[in-house]
Amino acid sequence: MTTNRKTETGDGDGAILECRGIERRFGGIVAVTGVDLVIQPQEIFGLVGPNGSGKTTLTNAITGFYPPNEGTVRLAGRDITGTAPHKVAKLGVARTFQNLALFNGMSVLDNILLGRHIHMNPGVIRTALYWWAAQREEIENRKIVEEVIEFLQLESIRHELVDGLPIGLKKRVELARALVAEPEMLILDEPMAGMNQEEKGYMSRFILDARAERGVSVLLIEHHMDVIIGICDRMLALNYGEMIASGIPREVVKDPRVIEAYVGGSHG
Amino acid sequence: MFYRLSGVHHANYVSDSRIFKVPADRNLTAFIFLIGLAAPFIMPSLYLNSYMLPWLIWTAAALGLNLVTGWAGQLHLGYAAVMAVGAYSAIHAARFGVPWEFALIIGGLASSVIGSLFAFAALRVKGLYLALTTLAMQFVMDWVLTHSPAISGGSHASLQSPTLALLGQDITSDTGYYYVAFGWCVLVTIFMLNLKRTGLGRALVAVREKDFAAAILGVNSFYYKILAFATSSFIAGVSGALLVATFFFLAAPEQFSVNVSIQVLAMVIVGGLGSIIGSYFGVALILLVPGLVNGIVAGGSEALGMQINVETLAHIPNAVYGALIVIVLLIEPLGLGKLYGNIRDYLMVWPFDQLRK
Repeated sequence: MTTNRKTETGDGDGAILECRGIERRFGGIVAVTGVDLVIQPQEIFGLVGPNGSGKTTLTNAITGFYPPNEGTVRLAGRDITGTAPHKVAKLGVARTFQNLALFNGMSVLDNILLGRHIHMNPGVIRTALYWWAAQREEIENRKIVEEVIEFLQLESIRHELVDGLPIGLKKRVELARALVAEPEMLILDEPMAGMNQEEKGYMSRFILDARAERGVSVLLIEHHMDVIIGICDRMLALNYGEMIASGIPREVVKDPRVIEAYVGGSHG
Repeated sequence: MFYRLSGVHHANYVSDSRIFKVPADRNLTAFIFLIGLAAPFIMPSLYLNSYMLPWLIWTAAALGLNLVTGWAGQLHLGYAAVMAVGAYSAIHAARFGVPWEFALIIGGLASSVIGSLFAFAALRVKGLYLALTTLAMQFVMDWVLTHSPAISGGSHASLQSPTLALLGQDITSDTGYYYVAFGWCVLVTIFMLNLKRTGLGRALVAVREKDFAAAILGVNSFYYKILAFATSSFIAGVSGALLVATFFFLAAPEQFSVNVSIQVLAMVIVGGLGSIIGSYFGVALILLVPGLVNGIVAGGSEALGMQINVETLAHIPNAVYGALIVIVLLIEPLGLGKLYGNIRDYLMVWPFDQLRK
């Protein structure tokens, strides 16, 4: 069935994320079925497939928005199948969204500070007694946020509202918000959609640096094959909710089924 | 012009997270605070008692509603009912002999409990459906108040509030009442200002803007919605209790009826959702303008020697103030707070405003 099924599946020992036999149905529609996925620590793992092939549904199954109907999701050996999204976040999974999910009406800084939410302990009394009960925590988290702001070169727009930013910057702010949570598993849903070649280059560099400096594992959903081939260690291709190929990117993109899914039949 | 950012440098994060970063804002606030403190000495007690005091208490109440509607984004049409719970609980407690300090807290906590019941509706339904659910709860509360003499105080449905006493002092003078209202309003305002720069405020805005994105950041939207309702209800309860203790002196169900709920919501919307200074402006417009227009119309007609019959005289202020609300919302849908913000932003760069555009 696949080019490199053995290397792809392997065993789940020591894996950061391990999905087995994931199936998700919406009414009579089977969005994802029989997907196995193992991501090793500090790996950048690409997930590709034509529109509607189930990539986002798979991430939603992992993060708990649409719990899988069948199959299990394990995070660092721990079963998280069907756990609520806000709990999955606390366990060390951060993600960005395909259609940007920044909070309008808030500054870039406040948006990124929200990424620190799982490390903070906000409350009503603490807010009322800010100077004694909240200030230290706010400042400490601000310092961590500032490190990421510097890392992603967002210093100049820190106090600006996110509403009016160009899309390339918005995507970068969202990446910053995901990174400050200090996740073990980072899921990026089309972080380079709508970007030009130069912005794509920047973004790829940020992802590689994030792995090198912060040791995150990345599940990267993308349509840009050059990016997938360029930065991913391994990849998985989906079509109509099923795995059609997986393994080393250079080999997977030559797979006739992948080419057929992307450019149509009678091509090989 | 007055507001200057030049020369303001933040050398550490503490100074960068101050409430007022612009010196002019800080000075203006201090000035207004001092005027507030001095008001009993520079203002006739008639104005102090019939304008300043209700303005301050309603502002505190409006800020509470702003917390749940402006910050957490939950439409609430039963706010007066929650205020009623606090008022009646506190007064019953005080009549029972509980010291007023604790009676007020009991009122606030009772409101929190009932207000959190509203929140359970908010977990299930959104938007207009939530508005209707809270409205239904308002009607239920109205009915309970008018039909249970044990709560509303007998056949006349009025409940005398015992003399207010705080920190061992009986408060009976106009000045005393004013300072109680002033103190409460300042406390609520400080809380709201702090809300703007803490994780709690950010989490509430996250729930309002995109709850799915909030969830993936670890924000439990159920918890924060309940927290927003409980906190705002506490503010409502204490405000309601103080309103009766310092202004009405007699609690009656119609003081907290459905049109009061709508009026508070109007204060918040006209002032600006999520704007603190806006709540002050909004309450002033809704509460004080009718009286002001009344005075102007009556005085004007007298000066001009015109004969206006009583009925017309009673309707003109309502029409004018209705028109004012429409005009404000047409000019700036985000309310008076945003209008003030626009002027402030303009002055901040004046005369170099072309740099901004």
